[in-house]
Amino acid sequence: MTNTGINEKIFEIRFENHQFSPQTLMVPANTPLKVVVVNSSRERIEFESFSLNREKVVEPGESVTVKLPALRAGSYDFFDDFHQDVPEGAIVAK
Amino acid sequence: MCLKVALRYLLLFGAAAALRCAAQLDPWEFEVYPYSTTPRGVAEFETDNAAVVDGHAAGGQGTASGTLHSQGMWYNSYEVTYGLTDRIEAALYLNMAVPEGGGLQWAGDKIRLRGRLLDQETLPVDVGWYLELEWHKTPQYDDAVRELEFRPILEKDFGRLSIVANPKFEKVLAGTGHDQGVEFGYVAGLHYRWARSLSPGLEFYGGAGLIDRAEPAGEQQHYVFPVVWGELPRGIEYNFGIGCGLTRGSDHLIVKFNLELERFVGAILRASPERGWLF
Repeated sequence: MTNTGINEKIFEIRFENHQFSPQTLMVPANTPLKVVVVNSSRERIEFESFSLNREKVVEPGESVTVKLPALRAGSYDFFDDFHQDVPEGAIVAK
Repeated sequence: MCLKVALRYLLLFGAAAALRCAAQLDPWEFEVYPYSTTPRGVAEFETDNAAVVDGHAAGGQGTASGTLHSQGMWYNSYEVTYGLTDRIEAALYLNMAVPEGGGLQWAGDKIRLRGRLLDQETLPVDVGWYLELEWHKTPQYDDAVRELEFRPILEKDFGRLSIVANPKFEKVLAGTGHDQGVEFGYVAGLHYRWARSLSPGLEFYGGAGLIDRAEPAGEQQHYVFPVVWGELPRGIEYNFGIGCGLTRGSDHLIVKFNLELERFVGAILRASPERGWLF
């Protein structure tokens, strides 16, 4: 986790070996966030979260930044919409 | 004699005005456009359908903008959308229709560009844009040959609830009404993300007439559609709703059913810059 100094925290989710890591990302509740999705695999992925209303294509070897508002405490899904067999992950705000 | 001529012109003008009433509403596409666009390199195949269960028996009334009446009409469109960049998509439409007692026939076409500005959460309200050129089979389905439409897209998320508004500004380029000003209509929606397979929503569609000369309230069209939407197996997305007309100028009952499928087909442009705002 990195703190940008403007009350916004940055977290990283990595995609490699056909799965996301970490599978469960713990974040603080009620704080604006940035999640950097790094695609370390050779596959193109679409990072998507239904509950957070986000979707972004990430090319192999590239990364994208997903801005999130301050989240209420709870669990928010994320998955790779291009590969339905990739295990779904969760962002858990506490 | 003069009175007869005047009455004839008045009737002709009245008929033309009546035909323009439905113009700000697009019955081939009961869909609310969100801020997000089709991802770069992804193609989306979609069919939108709306059946007028209880409509009007005369042309130019309700959702009918041409000489054919809306009662029993099935509006059927096919759309291919492609994500050009991370912020802009392009789409082609084929509009078909089955009028009451008739067969499937071509009704018009559309092309459009749609984009989003900046990234989500950068502004207090996420802002996008929509530009469309449409042409129709005249006079059966519309009395305007070509129309240009612009919509700003505004979206705000409150947790799992998204509020979207698409005010519509439409100008006739050729055909009846080309010498008139800009028409105003709207599309709006409240969508709650409950479950990926099934979520509820409420959608609103309507038109008020020319910006500088709105139609009488009763002749305007306003609809509210309770909808369910979500994702079926194999990634097929659906949106089903029943629309109720709120004025006498509206059709009374419309059933809509939209299906779409997204597939990555290959990007022709490179990734948009993270700090970009337009492309």
